[in-house]
Amino acid sequence: MFREVLIAPFSEFEFMRRALAAVIALALAGAPIGVFLMLRRMSLVGDAMAHAILPGAAIGFLLCGLNLFAMTAGGLIAGFTVAILAGVVARSTEMKEDASLATFYLVSLAVGVSIVSVKGTNIDLLHVLFGNILAMDDATLLVIAANATITLIVLALIFRPLVIESVDPLFLRTVSRAGAPAHLAFLALVVINLVNGFQALGTLLAVGLMILPAGIARFWSRDITGMIGIAVASALLSGYAGLVLSFQTRVPTGPAIILVAAGLYVGSVLFGRVGGLVRQLFPGRHLEA
Amino acid sequence: MRRLLLSLLGLMLAAAVPVRAQDRLNVVASFSILADFVRNVGGDRVDVTTLVGPDGDVHVYTPAPADASKVAAAKLLVINGLGLEGWLPRLAQSAGGQATIVTATRGVTPIIIGSAPDPHAWQSVLNAKIYVANIRDALVKADPAAAAAFAARANAYLARLAGLDLEVRAAVAQIAPSRRQVISTHNAFGYFAKAYGIDFIAPSGVSTESEASARDIAAIISQIRRLRIPAVFLENISDPRLIERIAAETGVKVGGTLYSDSLTGENGDSPTYIDMVRHNIRTLTSALAE
Amino acid sequence: MTAQLQLSDVTLGYDRHPAVHHLSGEIAAGALLAIVGPNGAGKSTLFRGIVGLLKPLAGTIQRAGLDVLDIAYLPQSADIDRSFPISVYDFVGTGLWRETGFFGGMGKPAGARIVAALAAVGLNGFENRPIGTLSGGQLQRLLFARVLLQDARLIVLDEPFNAIDAKTSADLLLLVKRWHAEQRTVLAALHDMDLVRAHFPETLLLARGKVAWGLTAEVLTAENLLAAQRMCEAFDDSATACVVDSLPSRAA
Repeated sequence: MFREVLIAPFSEFEFMRRALAAVIALALAGAPIGVFLMLRRMSLVGDAMAHAILPGAAIGFLLCGLNLFAMTAGGLIAGFTVAILAGVVARSTEMKEDASLATFYLVSLAVGVSIVSVKGTNIDLLHVLFGNILAMDDATLLVIAANATITLIVLALIFRPLVIESVDPLFLRTVSRAGAPAHLAFLALVVINLVNGFQALGTLLAVGLMILPAGIARFWSRDITGMIGIAVASALLSGYAGLVLSFQTRVPTGPAIILVAAGLYVGSVLFGRVGGLVRQLFPGRHLEA
Repeated sequence: MRRLLLSLLGLMLAAAVPVRAQDRLNVVASFSILADFVRNVGGDRVDVTTLVGPDGDVHVYTPAPADASKVAAAKLLVINGLGLEGWLPRLAQSAGGQATIVTATRGVTPIIIGSAPDPHAWQSVLNAKIYVANIRDALVKADPAAAAAFAARANAYLARLAGLDLEVRAAVAQIAPSRRQVISTHNAFGYFAKAYGIDFIAPSGVSTESEASARDIAAIISQIRRLRIPAVFLENISDPRLIERIAAETGVKVGGTLYSDSLTGENGDSPTYIDMVRHNIRTLTSALAE
Repeated sequence: MTAQLQLSDVTLGYDRHPAVHHLSGEIAAGALLAIVGPNGAGKSTLFRGIVGLLKPLAGTIQRAGLDVLDIAYLPQSADIDRSFPISVYDFVGTGLWRETGFFGGMGKPAGARIVAALAAVGLNGFENRPIGTLSGGQLQRLLFARVLLQDARLIVLDEPFNAIDAKTSADLLLLVKRWHAEQRTVLAALHDMDLVRAHFPETLLLARGKVAWGLTAEVLTAENLLAAQRMCEAFDDSATACVVDSLPSRAA
């Protein structure tokens, strides 16, 4: 019975295998980034970015029609511009990171809506741009896989300065000039992951598999390496279980995966070892020392 | 001499006045297909503006302020009804104005899916004739002086539609009965299927807004394999990748693009309703006939 | 003795208002210098200029070839994210950044040094604790341990003994003396005059500008302290541009 439910969907249907491959790549790259986003209080950046890429996609559409490659490239450029500008302003002025990003993404969205309205089409460009995990063609899978590889490599490179910058930025400034480049590299990774994620899988999955696993990990580990490990594991588990759920019921795939992740999250909030509610209510006898 | 010129001028003015007095009727149509019908019946007695233009998606349209002013200035507002334009009642209410709302599907027998009607009634040419009749009656009521012109134009167009209906039936008759099944992106062809006997199966539901589950996709793939469905078709308003994935996995070919909810621009395949139906039936037959 | 730091007519401030005004002087290598002054005297600003965080509005700061990145700086209020999931061990380990850089292995010798540093500040046994569980005094010890690991020639401490208990202060003071014995240059901004008189041979009494600079006993007189009090005013929004200011500012 287990085999029927858990393995058969993937052995019988290629689209399920491809979806699983996509979910694995997404989990490996997105979850670690999500952990850093959460720790740096940038959890809402995913939604902001989903809107910020509109002018880029619109210009891509204007130049090349409904060409996904052009629209994605445009979206990447717009995303980078917003992220880098916001990052630079936050570092060189009193403006804090979240407010800086908010201002820039709003400007970007307004520009995007204007372009779309002036051109006169009503197709929801972003609706078309945002893909579906069940429709993984070769090109898209390749992009996601490349994305995951690049992300993991760059993240390994900037891991130390990123950690130090997150916990004690002033200290990093006094011992290294790597703080700003590391930060900008991180922002670039965020944009790439989000835009590629949107294009391949839609906003819900791309952002959801970044942020929810990070939230889950918060309740099980006190150490950043441990958190990243748990985040990746929960993302993989949610992806797999969500696909199975969508196969057995009529729940659409994206929401199914996120619902599984949400279930894990609620479980963590209640029963997590680090700060879970049940632990707080029933701490047990205190220790000797 | 001067008096001659003056009287000539007076004659010309007198001649011009009646033409200017016959102001064109200001009609707003909700989307491109309805606009096409109105133009065909009204001719140059009407001035038609469309809210959801060519290649637009009428299911998920968000009206702009410019649309409100169009509606406010209009004499007639022609809509499809049957739940197609969810965004319209609010727009009509907030725009104000005194437009008479004409529901083009009045008198059409709707197909019910679940608990809601399928709005794509125009896909059956016989229904299209009902649309045209409703539009003609509304135009006549709004501009009785031109009743004869409207009736004449409508009759001519209805005749063309009748011919089109026969064309479609003849084309379908050439397809072997076992091959009369296709996959399309969203469930837009229910009326076409019912009227002409080609089965349409779609992964998305009746609207472009909904998302497919893995079970739905697996079901379609199994169905294609089991029934040996010959072709899948793309649409001009949706992401093609899902259909292409289904095609790749079943080895079925992509037959081309069908136009469901929208006409194309002037340079596209389907600038008018009749062109659209012809394009669709040709695309279907060429994919299914082999 | 050679000068570790040379301040030439340095003016440091924010938004063009000077917080340190036309300060000149030399700090010898290996000096143990206390910097005192009322609130608003410019002590923290001076330190930020010395470690390279703030560019002077005028004048220059020369560091005898020492790279700013090799100066160990303990700020007055550390903007540390206590909720970040990092252990005491890893946090202190960041003090080795100048040696290990991005990837340098934190191998056995480094590990031993980290443990030794923690022991030196009395935090042995705390290696695996998350930093969020430390008290104020323990956090200060932690920061001292990091400075230890930085192994810097110039150490700058901004009010290091604020809000910590006497025992911790005493222990950390021993560390400061050890650094002095190792001939490192140590600068400390302090409020506790008794502590300064007891342990610091040299003092700079700062009140935006220099009030007195030299041996502690000569500097910390009643009249000097009074003079310093009077010299500390708030920023004057209607102040005109300073006429003494003729040299263009150079990079810190």
